[in-house]
Amino acid sequence: MAKKPKIKELLDESACAHNKTKKNACNAPVPGATTGGCAFEGAQISLFPYADAAHLVHGPLTCLGSSWETRATETSFVGRDLTQMGFTTAISMSDVVFGGEQKLLGAIDYIMERYAPQAIFVYATCVTALIGDDLDAVCRHAARKYGVPMVPVHAPGFVGSKNLGSRLGGEAVLERLIGTLEPETTTPFDINLIGEYNVTGDMWRYAPLLEELGIRVLSTLSGDGRVARIRTAHRARLNVIVCAKSLISLTRKMEERYGIPSISLSFYGRRDTSSGLLAIAEALGDADLIERTRNLIAREEARLEQRLAPYRAVFEGKKAVLNTGGNKSWSIASALQDLGIEVVATAVKKATEADREKAGQYLGENGVLMMNPGAEQARIIDETGADLLLAGGRSLYTAIKKRIAFADVNQEKKKSYGGYDGLLNLAEDLKNALENPVFRNVARRAPWEK
Amino acid sequence: MGEVKHKNLKPLQVNPIKLSQPMGAALAFFGVGGCMPLMHGAIGCTSFTKVFLTRHFAEPIAIQTTAVTDVTAILDGGDYNIVESVKNITGKVTPELIGLFTTGLTETKGDDIRGVAARIDFPLVHVNTPDYEGALESGWALATKALIDQLVEPTEAIDDEKVLLLPHVSLTPVEVEKIREFIAAFGFEVLALPDLSTSLDGHLGEKQAALSSGGISVEEIRAAASANFVLSVGASMRPSAEALRKKNPFIRHLHFDHLQGLEATDALAALLLKESGRQEPPQGLVRWRKRLQDAMLDSHFSLGQTRFLVAGEPDQIAGLCSSLREAGGRVRVAISTVDSPQLEQIPAEKVLVGDLEDAENLHDEYDLIITNFHGETLSHRLHKALVLRGYPNWEQVGNQLKNDVLYEGGAYFLFEAANAATRWRVEGGGES
Repeated sequence: MAKKPKIKELLDESACAHNKTKKNACNAPVPGATTGGCAFEGAQISLFPYADAAHLVHGPLTCLGSSWETRATETSFVGRDLTQMGFTTAISMSDVVFGGEQKLLGAIDYIMERYAPQAIFVYATCVTALIGDDLDAVCRHAARKYGVPMVPVHAPGFVGSKNLGSRLGGEAVLERLIGTLEPETTTPFDINLIGEYNVTGDMWRYAPLLEELGIRVLSTLSGDGRVARIRTAHRARLNVIVCAKSLISLTRKMEERYGIPSISLSFYGRRDTSSGLLAIAEALGDADLIERTRNLIAREEARLEQRLAPYRAVFEGKKAVLNTGGNKSWSIASALQDLGIEVVATAVKKATEADREKAGQYLGENGVLMMNPGAEQARIIDETGADLLLAGGRSLYTAIKKRIAFADVNQEKKKSYGGYDGLLNLAEDLKNALENPVFRNVARRAPWEK
Repeated sequence: MGEVKHKNLKPLQVNPIKLSQPMGAALAFFGVGGCMPLMHGAIGCTSFTKVFLTRHFAEPIAIQTTAVTDVTAILDGGDYNIVESVKNITGKVTPELIGLFTTGLTETKGDDIRGVAARIDFPLVHVNTPDYEGALESGWALATKALIDQLVEPTEAIDDEKVLLLPHVSLTPVEVEKIREFIAAFGFEVLALPDLSTSLDGHLGEKQAALSSGGISVEEIRAAASANFVLSVGASMRPSAEALRKKNPFIRHLHFDHLQGLEATDALAALLLKESGRQEPPQGLVRWRKRLQDAMLDSHFSLGQTRFLVAGEPDQIAGLCSSLREAGGRVRVAISTVDSPQLEQIPAEKVLVGDLEDAENLHDEYDLIITNFHGETLSHRLHKALVLRGYPNWEQVGNQLKNDVLYEGGAYFLFEAANAATRWRVEGGGES
C-alpha cells in the first residue's frame, strides 16, 4: 500500500518556530477575501524544475493551461527541457463521470513512447482527487511497465496553500525518489541544495564558487535538477535550504532517516551570500575548507566592491521605502543596504515573527516597520524624503503621486539578483529606475485640468 | 476550405493553447462596470487566472475566490462558501454586481449555484462554467448570455438609434472600441456587452481601483433589449444574441463570423449603410478602406510566398486566416482550441482541433506561426517566423492596443505579418 502524506502532520511541523506559539498552524482561506496560490501550484513550483522528467497534470484545463511555461527556471540539461512543456490529461465530462484512470494510463504511455523521460511526476488536482482516481495504482502499474520512477504527487489545490503544496511535493520526492539509487562516488563535501529552483539562473551565480571550494552539489530540489541525482540525495553530508521554509519538513525527515543535518540560508545580496558560503563550510566542519572559504569571500567581496564603485555615487544619500512580504522584507532590505541605499521603512504585514525581528535588526532603530503599508507608505515617503519605492504594481500610483522612482519587486523575474554578480544586476536596475524621468513625466497635469 | 478534423484523439494535451471556461467568464465580468468576478472553486483557480491576466495586461486584476477547501468540498453544497464570499466582499467594497461562476471542482461536487444565488440579497449573476468542457471562448459567451438572461428587462419598445454589440472573447479592448466607433460613425449609439475597451484598455486612473473601473454599466445592460438590432461578432456569440431576442420580439439579430479583412468590413459597411438609410459612408472610413487596399498590395508579395500556421480560439483564427488569405497568405494549418461550427468556414488547407505538439508535428508545412506566447519557444526550436496573437502574451507589452479589425486594423495586421515573414527570410528563413 502506497503511503499518502498526512496533511495534518505536515501542517504541524515541529521544526517550524511559529508552531510553538500558534494554536492553528495554517488557517483555512477566507472565502471572498483570499489571494495566493494553491497546493498544486506549490508542488509545481518545487518539482517542475526537474527538466529530465515529464510533469503530467491529471485534471481539467485550468490547472496547467494557465500555468505552464510561467517560471524561468533554467537548466543545463542537454535533452529537451521538459520543465517548459505542458502535459495534461485535460479531463472531460465523461472522465468525470466514468473516472479518468484509463485516460491517465494512456497519457503516460504516450509520454513514454514519445519523450522517454527519466521519470514522470503525476499531479492530482481537485477534480481528480474528488472523483477518486487512484494515482498510486496507476503509477505503480506504469513504473513496473517502464522501469522508471512514476511519482504520484498528492497536492490537489483545495488542500491548502502553495506552501503546503511545496511540502507535499517534497514528501513525494522523499517517499519515491530519495534513497533509490547510490551515487557512483561520494566526497566529504557533498551537499544537497533544497528549495533552490534556479529561477533566472540564480543558482549559477554562486554554484561555481562552491565548486571552486571543492564543495560538490550532489543533488538539488530542484533547480537545474536531475532525477538520477535526487535519487542519491541520501548520501549527502549536508542539506542546504535556500530561502524556502516550506521544505523544512523534508530536511527534518532526512535528518531523522539518514542523519543529514541541515542549514537554512539565502544568497541574496553581498552579506547573505558571504555568510551563506561560510555557513556551509562551517557546517561541513573542515578547518582547511573554512580557511579557503574566508579567502574566497574576501576576494569576491573586493571584486564586487570594485565593480560596484561606479554605482556608489548614484546611490549616495538615496533613501528607499520597501513594501513587500515574507522574507523579502529583510532580504531585499539587506541587498539595498549593500548597495549603499538607506532603507527607511519596510513592510512587515505579511512577514512571520522571525522575519519581523530580522527586518528590525537590518533597519536599525530609525527604520520603520510598517504594519499597514498601504496607508503608511505615502506619509513615510513625505516625512523621510524617500527617493525610491520598491513595491508591487498596486503601489505604482503612490510613487507617481509622490513623483518618486518606482521598482516593481513582484514583477516576473527576468534576470538574476542572486549571489555577488546578481547584486550588480540589481544595482543596474535600480540606477535605471532612479534616473528614469517617466514617473515625473506621467504625473504631468493635462492642459485641461485645473 | 480544406480538410477539417473536429476531434483530437490523443489521451492528453501537450503544450496546450486551450484556456479554461472560468477564465473566459472572468474576462466577461471585467467588461461590466463595477463588477466583482467571484470564481467558485479552490484558491488556485482564481490565483492562476489573476496572475495570468495581470501579466497579459500589465494591470492589477480584481477578482475573488470562494476558496473551496477539501473539507468544504465534501461537507458544503456551495452555500457556505458563496454566502461567506459575498459577505466578505461587500464588507470591503460595494460592487454594482457580483459575477459568480463555477469551475470543474464545484461542478463535480454538484453545487446548485442557482439555488444559492436565489437566497442572496445582492445583485448577482451566476453561470456554470466547468473547465472540463469548452474553453476560453465559450466561458466568455456563457457569462455574456447569463448577463442577458438574468439582468436584461423584457420590453417591446425599440430605440431606432441603439445598437448592442456582442464581441467574442479574442477581440482586444481597442478592437472593441474601434468596432463601436465604426458603427457609431453611421449615426448609431453603440453599447458593447461585455465592454473591455473602457476597463482593460490599460489607462492610468486617479488611483488603484478595487473593482473593474469601466465597462458597460449594469443599468445599460438592464435596458439593452430596446436596441434596434443586436450585432454578434464570432460564432460563439450567437446564443447570447438569441437570448436577447427572447427579451424583445422586435429586436433583430445580425451576425458576423469575424470583422477582419476587406470583405468582412465591406459587408459590415454595406449593412450599416442600409440600416442607417445613409447614401454616403463616413469620410474617415473611405480613406481607411483605400489604405487597406494599398496595404494588401504592399504586403502581398511577402505574404504570397509565406506558409502560415494559425492557432487559437475558433472565432479568432477565423478572422486571422481570412485576412491573410485575402492578401495571398497561404494558410496551411489552422489549429483550434475546441470544436466549433466556425471551423468549416476557415480558409486553410488543414483545420484541426489540437495543441502545439500537433503544430510541432506538422513543422514541414509552414514558415510563420501566429499564436499566443507559447509559440515563442516553438518558433525558436523550429526556426520559424512568429507573430504573437491571443491570450496570453507575456512577452510583449501593449496587448490591449493591438488592432487587427476593420479596414484600419486590417492594414496594421497585414504589414506586421508581411514584415515578420520578410525578416525571417532575410535572417536565413529556417536554415538552422
